[in-house]
Amino acid sequence: MKLRATIQDVEIDVEIRREGGQVFANLDGREYGLEANLSPSGVTLLASDGQVFDCRVEGQPASGQAVDVFVGTDQFAVTLIDPKRLRGAAAANAAADGAARIVAPMPGKIVRVLVTKGASVEAGAGIVVVEAMKMQNEMKAPKAGTVVTLNVEVGTTINGGDVLAIIE
Amino acid sequence: MFGKILIANRGEIAVRIIRACRDLSISPVAVFSQADAAALHVRMSDEAHCIGPAPSTESYLNIPAIIEAAKKSGAEAIHPGYGFLAENAEFARAVSEAGLTFIGPTPEAMEVMGSKTSARRAAIKAGAPVVPGTIEALQNYEEAKQVAAKFGYPVMLKAAAGGGGKGMRQVAEESELSSALEAAQSEAASAFGNSDVYLEKVVAKPRHIEIQIFADALGNGVHLGERECSIQRRHQKVIEECPSPINDPDLRQRMGKAAIKIAMAVNYVGAGTVEFLFSDVTREFYFLEMNTRLQVEHPVTELVTGFDLVREQINVAAGGQLSFTQADVQWYGHAIECRVYAEDPDNNFFPSPGKITFLRVPAGPGIRDDSGVSEGDEVSIHYDPMISKLAAWGRTRAEAIARMRRALDEYAVGGIKTTLPFFREIVRDEEFIAARLDTGFISRFNERRRGTGVLPVDVHVQDARATADIAVIAAALAYAHPERAPATNHDESQSKWKLAGRRTALANSLLKTVK
Repeated sequence: MKLRATIQDVEIDVEIRREGGQVFANLDGREYGLEANLSPSGVTLLASDGQVFDCRVEGQPASGQAVDVFVGTDQFAVTLIDPKRLRGAAAANAAADGAARIVAPMPGKIVRVLVTKGASVEAGAGIVVVEAMKMQNEMKAPKAGTVVTLNVEVGTTINGGDVLAIIE
Repeated sequence: MFGKILIANRGEIAVRIIRACRDLSISPVAVFSQADAAALHVRMSDEAHCIGPAPSTESYLNIPAIIEAAKKSGAEAIHPGYGFLAENAEFARAVSEAGLTFIGPTPEAMEVMGSKTSARRAAIKAGAPVVPGTIEALQNYEEAKQVAAKFGYPVMLKAAAGGGGKGMRQVAEESELSSALEAAQSEAASAFGNSDVYLEKVVAKPRHIEIQIFADALGNGVHLGERECSIQRRHQKVIEECPSPINDPDLRQRMGKAAIKIAMAVNYVGAGTVEFLFSDVTREFYFLEMNTRLQVEHPVTELVTGFDLVREQINVAAGGQLSFTQADVQWYGHAIECRVYAEDPDNNFFPSPGKITFLRVPAGPGIRDDSGVSEGDEVSIHYDPMISKLAAWGRTRAEAIARMRRALDEYAVGGIKTTLPFFREIVRDEEFIAARLDTGFISRFNERRRGTGVLPVDVHVQDARATADIAVIAAALAYAHPERAPATNHDESQSKWKLAGRRTALANSLLKTVK
């Protein structure tokens, strides 16, 4: 199987082949021969030249989506692109039109709104205060600009991923 | 002794209390919210009663429902754990009025110590030094401004009913005072139902040192030495140690005596903790507050003294005499505890709820993990995000740190973000190893991280490029084999022993990396 991988801002051509318990991989010309144990808990043991790598892939990787991979205690974000499933995943990320979205990282409740729509704000200025898991967190403007959209008010219940405000 | 105890709590502390009950052959009764029906503390109990829906105000803070569950189960006593109703005098009264024993101090003692302002008054009466500040709650911004100007900035605003860093703000200058006061009051109101806030002068380079005390109803009071809790973020402790790296027996005795005096002044019964600020500059200590409950970080004291504090709480609540005297308390070795939170250290410690898809808990010499979860459990948005407390004991601080480092590397939690990577860096940090601790440690540590951009790395970590390649291969394998089933030529029924044996044999039969 041929894939394209991105890890630590480096793009790598990956070719991987599995024969029984053995895995042969070619990463940009670097050849690996490894023994693999895949278990349902997501723990994979790869050993090479006497070295043991205790790996864990968080969830099921999908083409174009970053997945967390642990090798021992080292954590990596790996994005795989399957050329057979070109879905323009990269295009989806290209929403960077100069607008900064303030997105709720998790479900919670808005306890304070510190700006009004149309206000101009400095980078780092507080926009809203979110309460979740008994903690209050101030969401700050990632850049200076104007608050063009303000989707919440005090008391609004929010879900993770909700766009709370847009700074342009 | 009691035959049955109801535990009015959840998570790791409920599990901890269940274990003490088992040691004493007492039948543990759990309570749970609808979100916790299959939680570990429920599964480990003999009996469990649902006390309401997920929000804690309707379940773990629901006094009538808890009392009713206790009566229904026939429990003779209620252990409140920490948090929730543990320091709620109204709850303690309701328990007594229902003819049950509250495992903790009297409601009167809780009331005096429950308000930070009246606690300060009690400590002053008992002759203990206190941090300069107001004794009454601030009436308004004008008063706050005047008082702050009098003591000089920086000052600290604190919720009178506070705890756990909520309703607390440090103010560096007058321009920040107004918004900080508003924030502290609003957080205090939402967290404790009481918006009273008072003001203290900030002590320079303070260490947060607390004394564990124990008293029985017969008038005996002892102290079990100190814990160092200087490593805090958002005024919440994240790493605790026993003893403090200061490890000064004379200071320990002086602080211990002061703590016992304060406790005795309110006729304290049971386990309690007297918190002090200790100035590294002047070597003076000041009374901060008294926590009228078991502390989260009690395991480090248990590891160093050998006592089981929960067992002792139950003994004392049943009217028994303390099972040890001051002369019996000896401190041996050093213990460190890390609080493992479901939080993302790379995103300002934002809570990271979700399902725990994988869990590997460390073990081995000197390691103790007090956990409230198992694999497959859901970390809910409704409750505190602490999932476990990892403690390490060693004969010396250095040995304890080495064991903690090993245990943190063994610990693996999948599906959610945790503070484990953060701790792995801390135990390798030079300042931490040198025990240069004060409450500003974390912010300085974060500065150091930003400054160098390089994380401390172990010598055994393999070549970084190769490790990254392995990560890519693991991801590619998971992508190519979504079923994650064993390969077809693998014996699916092979035992773990065979697997282990095969792993050992791997070294001999490996394919060489082809350059």
